[in-house]
Amino acid sequence: MSARVRPLLETDLERVVAIERATFPTPWTRGMFVDELLQGRSRAWFVADSPWGLLGYAGLMEVDGEGHILNLAVRGDARGRGIGAALLEAVFDEALRRELARLTLEVRPSNVAARAMYAAAGFSEEGRRPGYYADSGEDAIVMWTGPLSSEGMQIAMSAVSKRAADIGAVTIERDGSGLEATSSNDVILAIETSCDETAAAVLRGGREVLSSVVASQVDFHARFGGVVPEIASRKHVEAISGVVDEALTLAGIGLRDVTAIAVTYGPGLVGALVVGVAYAKGLALASGLPLVGVNHLEGHLFANVLKEPDIEPPLVALLVSGGHTSLIHVPAWGEYHTLGSTLDDAAGEAFDKVAKALGLGYPGGPAISRLAVDGDAAAIPFPRAMINTADLDFSLSGLKTAVITYIRKEEQAGRELNLPDISASFQAAVIDVQVSKALRAVAETGVSTFLIGGGVSANPALRAALTTAMNARGVRVSVPPFDLCTDNAAMIAAAAHFRLGRGETLGPSAEAIPDLRLG
Amino acid sequence: MVEPTAIITGSADETRALGETLGRVLARNDVVALTGDLGAGKTVLVQGIAAGLGVVGHVPSPTFNILLVHRAPITLYHFDLYRLEHVRQLADIDFYETLESDGVCVIEWADRFPDELPPDRLDITIVANDDGERELLTAGRGPIARKLARRLDFEWRHRIGGERS
Repeated sequence: MSARVRPLLETDLERVVAIERATFPTPWTRGMFVDELLQGRSRAWFVADSPWGLLGYAGLMEVDGEGHILNLAVRGDARGRGIGAALLEAVFDEALRRELARLTLEVRPSNVAARAMYAAAGFSEEGRRPGYYADSGEDAIVMWTGPLSSEGMQIAMSAVSKRAADIGAVTIERDGSGLEATSSNDVILAIETSCDETAAAVLRGGREVLSSVVASQVDFHARFGGVVPEIASRKHVEAISGVVDEALTLAGIGLRDVTAIAVTYGPGLVGALVVGVAYAKGLALASGLPLVGVNHLEGHLFANVLKEPDIEPPLVALLVSGGHTSLIHVPAWGEYHTLGSTLDDAAGEAFDKVAKALGLGYPGGPAISRLAVDGDAAAIPFPRAMINTADLDFSLSGLKTAVITYIRKEEQAGRELNLPDISASFQAAVIDVQVSKALRAVAETGVSTFLIGGGVSANPALRAALTTAMNARGVRVSVPPFDLCTDNAAMIAAAAHFRLGRGETLGPSAEAIPDLRLG
Repeated sequence: MVEPTAIITGSADETRALGETLGRVLARNDVVALTGDLGAGKTVLVQGIAAGLGVVGHVPSPTFNILLVHRAPITLYHFDLYRLEHVRQLADIDFYETLESDGVCVIEWADRFPDELPPDRLDITIVANDDGERELLTAGRGPIARKLARRLDFEWRHRIGGERS
């Protein structure tokens, strides 16, 4: 599928108005577009045309040597395919041709994907127009580029516009052999925004971490007693430019030294993922670099490879985090089979909810594991759900309910809660089941290497129990360094290095996939 | 105010069976709003609803992801508002658009934002009793949900009556 960007004609107006009406709460009328066409040289309008009809349009207004981007809209069924970026490039090209000083536009605060794309294309937020949008009363964010004649993204964007003007909305495969030749020294800039961390990292040659920046929001969470998914979009948008710049600065390189852009495109929160994906697409488009998509869970596996580069499949991995509790069989890199996963709560979720019931802060895992050190793990016989079932699935909801019921009964009886004993007993119940299922997975697959990944893999008691149990059976165990257990972009870059080596890149059609699966 | 109907279940399996009964009578655009403390059995009920709708595979807690989508003849949108703190976050997760889609929406921790729920919905409040029983209070808000509540009550009486006779 391909689309061409060309000037707007009067015969396009019906279709433009149809897209306008479907896109904006207070759409322009046909008459307003006709007026635009009559304005002559002060305006430039473009459409993206394709065999499937008109896919989008954008307009440029010249005022006192500066360019104002008017409406930019993409048909609902054609979004996420690079159409918006291609239209933006056409506007940039036109602005350069006219030697305009700068470009500006207004965008809704709630339109996070558009804000991320504009930010990646070199726009920054310089002001607000209060209550600008009549339908919702939302402010308009006013964004400006830097001087268009300067060296920078705009120039690079112009350089690739010839290619992007003819967009393939299918995956653009790069020449694999060429990539293999350079992959041993590749420099990857990776972006991760799958949940509540905005992160960027630069990795050279697949193992040398030149920088890894995480805009940690744990303090922010602690104030609200839970993960605040506002972070999912607005906070990511606010943080992403700074985090990426910081990663490049710490690495001592510029975008021109980068071989490829990598981004987590799933699984995760949709509002969070789209920010990273839109930003990475913008960067890739502006720089002409290939874009590599990484599965977040695959990234957690590669956190171990960063620490121990000689780790090779076949292996089994246990992924334990706030959203996942899964056993994965990896016969070869890139080949993943889920052996079992939680039927209800993830391990990290159980830790957080029990911590909340105990009145401990967020995040719950570290609080419980600290208390557990001084507690008796055998004090309270909490259930080990499904420990004896033949499958490799987990169930943690019953354990959570048992702990909450126990707490309620103790409180009703007027007894003071023994926090260390409850924490130690709960943690032991979680660990017993994890170890038991992990051992069964290793035995069933016959592998001799075992990895742990995900936020809960930072739990010292879980690491120790798994290491002891596996080593007793002659199985090599790899646990990630503490700073790579939680979400970060270095692990995404490591996974991207492997994918780039195989020529696996995404085209302009790259989209966030919230329920992306591994294998 | 609609007077709620109380249904008692004696075990997680029975709560799941009630959910399955509900899942079989749900239609496109129906909204079920669930309320209940941690460990009350909301996710268990939704697992039953999913089975009744014909969902194949695991139906884990959506607490972390906030929304999990399960494909079936009628798509199940499984929300969990536990982690949300502000009304404006509902727009971030496409809450309003999803309610308008032609699937079934089941919302855990619906009492987080009572004013944001659609007027026609089935409210279910789950209360855990000390002896492990669960009391499920169902109330249809709006004409469609009132019919749904009556149908659920009828089908459930039929089911447990059949099993006990």
